[in-house]
Amino acid sequence: MESVEVLVAHIQGLSRSPDEVSHLHSLLKQSEDALRSHASRLAPFLSQLDPSIHTLGYLFLLEAYSSGSISGEEASGFLLTVVEFINSCSAEQIQLAPEKFISVCKSFKDQVMQLGVPMQGIAPLWMAVRKLQTSTEQLTTLHSDYLLLCLLAKCYKAGLSILDDDIFEVDHPRDHFLYCYYGGMINIGLKRFEKALACLHNVVTAPMTTLNAICVEAYKKYILVSLILNGQVPSFPKYTSSAAHRNLKNYTQPYVDLANFYASGKFSELEACIQTNQEKFLSDSNLGLVKQVLSSLYKRNIQRLTQTYLTLSLQDIANVAQLNNPKEAEMHVLQMIQDGEIFATINQKDGMVSFHEDPEQYKSCRMTEHIDFSIQRLMALSKKLSSLDDNLSCDPQYLSKVGKERQKFDFDEFDSVSHKFM
Amino acid sequence: MEELSVHSREEKNVEEIARRFVPYGGRKKSPLGFYLAMDLSPIQKDLASKCYSAVADTCDDLMLKLASRGIRYQDEWPFAIHLLGHVFANDLNSARFLWKSIPLEIKESRPEIVAVWKIGQCLWTRDYAGVYDAIRGFDWSAEITAMVVAFSENYTKKMFQMLNSAYSTISVTDVAHFLGMSEDRAIDYALQHGWKLDSSCKMVIVKKPKTVTERKLDPSKLQRLTEYVFHLEH
Repeated sequence: MESVEVLVAHIQGLSRSPDEVSHLHSLLKQSEDALRSHASRLAPFLSQLDPSIHTLGYLFLLEAYSSGSISGEEASGFLLTVVEFINSCSAEQIQLAPEKFISVCKSFKDQVMQLGVPMQGIAPLWMAVRKLQTSTEQLTTLHSDYLLLCLLAKCYKAGLSILDDDIFEVDHPRDHFLYCYYGGMINIGLKRFEKALACLHNVVTAPMTTLNAICVEAYKKYILVSLILNGQVPSFPKYTSSAAHRNLKNYTQPYVDLANFYASGKFSELEACIQTNQEKFLSDSNLGLVKQVLSSLYKRNIQRLTQTYLTLSLQDIANVAQLNNPKEAEMHVLQMIQDGEIFATINQKDGMVSFHEDPEQYKSCRMTEHIDFSIQRLMALSKKLSSLDDNLSCDPQYLSKVGKERQKFDFDEFDSVSHKFM
Repeated sequence: MEELSVHSREEKNVEEIARRFVPYGGRKKSPLGFYLAMDLSPIQKDLASKCYSAVADTCDDLMLKLASRGIRYQDEWPFAIHLLGHVFANDLNSARFLWKSIPLEIKESRPEIVAVWKIGQCLWTRDYAGVYDAIRGFDWSAEITAMVVAFSENYTKKMFQMLNSAYSTISVTDVAHFLGMSEDRAIDYALQHGWKLDSSCKMVIVKKPKTVTERKLDPSKLQRLTEYVFHLEH
């Protein structure tokens, strides 16, 4: 215990300038074992420190405390301490020991989940992610923990503030898998199906040597969202790993069957397929999504009509889309017009629907702004890619590999030009 | 007087309690929640300035902040206003999730929350006329009345715009149904907006308003075009 008191005195004394802090850092690293052995008794020492000034020292003590077991009575107090720490800590000092910070946050997340109060962890973890990141383009381990809490607490909108950042740096592949999978789930919950598809696509096409469970679950949802959004499941792009290419369909057979029945366009067959596989869908927690696939079949059938007809009676639409009466057909068409899924006008007097082309002429100021914005983003992305390419071509590992694989040129080939003039 | 002094003495200790790990296993309320009142002024500011579209975000942020401090906010939280905020912003997904998270005892003891949810439900199931019934079928409290009225006016306008874009001719009964008005009032409303009435078959002919889309370009666009060409050349 004396060693801890001495350490606390050091922390209080050596936290003013960056040099002092780095000296403190080495002292703390030496005392890690001592701290862990006193884990359960560190609580009173924490109250002697100020988390905003003595961040690094506080962090080491807190991490040692959280590595021990925390009793049920102390749990809520622990949560409040971590919340206060995250809110007032200094980001520069955190960057000196990021693994410790991540460890504290993970213990925090585990406690929050164990106590059944995920909402308590959302605001603090958001702050933790922002303080841990060196830039908004970096993916940290905490991103997926934050999204997990948002999902459990059903605060889906809170997840968007992190999800909408563009990520360019990924340190650990596992972070990436979980982040994109949870991101896909949050987007599905908010019915942003295009973004969900992009997230799930990233999981399915990520580089991997063997298939993992996250990828399998993501592919199941990928099939369902593709059906809802586009009516079909695209084939794997070229850059998909061979492990995914060969094995994914084997693990997701009921979903592949569903996609095939959907393509036939027959409501009754699709319903039958869902009935047979209902338990499987239920155990995967995908039944809600499957029901959305079913109701999207109506829309798909009506959309197909717009490609063939200019005007059609409501009765005919009801027949084709297997609806009960023209009034139901009218309500469906009205909903689709409201959601912007088709362009049409209903003429109640004659009981007819006229289908139109997309009235957008791309001439307005608003559209120009939109196109401008997209072009700017593409230019920024293109610059990033070229700088990435430049960095890679200077990388010593890359150069050594390329050097080994270069074929040795024959002497003759160098003389091809001079021969002509002989 | 003695009770007051006991409270103020204990208030100073609250901060210390928060720092140390005081077990409070059996108690339902956390120390902080018991002694400090919830500061709901950001929400009240939005309501006072009629920024109804901002209410949902303000409520979300404040709720997460209170939750992070372990405060049991549910008993005094203005769920009705929070729900109506989501409905006002047409974010029915968030409204549904919020409804699911409200504890059962609170739903049963506060009928206003259930009444707001009824509006959200009708919007979700596209029961267009049901929305009006839900709005008119409850005696709203003073706090929330102005917001409900604003929502109702907004909704009527949106319904009218929808009819404009989706129909070329529509029966008077249906217009009255979608706008939540009597048939006569509906006819007046429609005629005011330039629609024509065909009284023989009780149909209204829709006249789409001329939308003026801005087409003028300003010089800064030229600068941007130069940037694009430069980028493409290099």
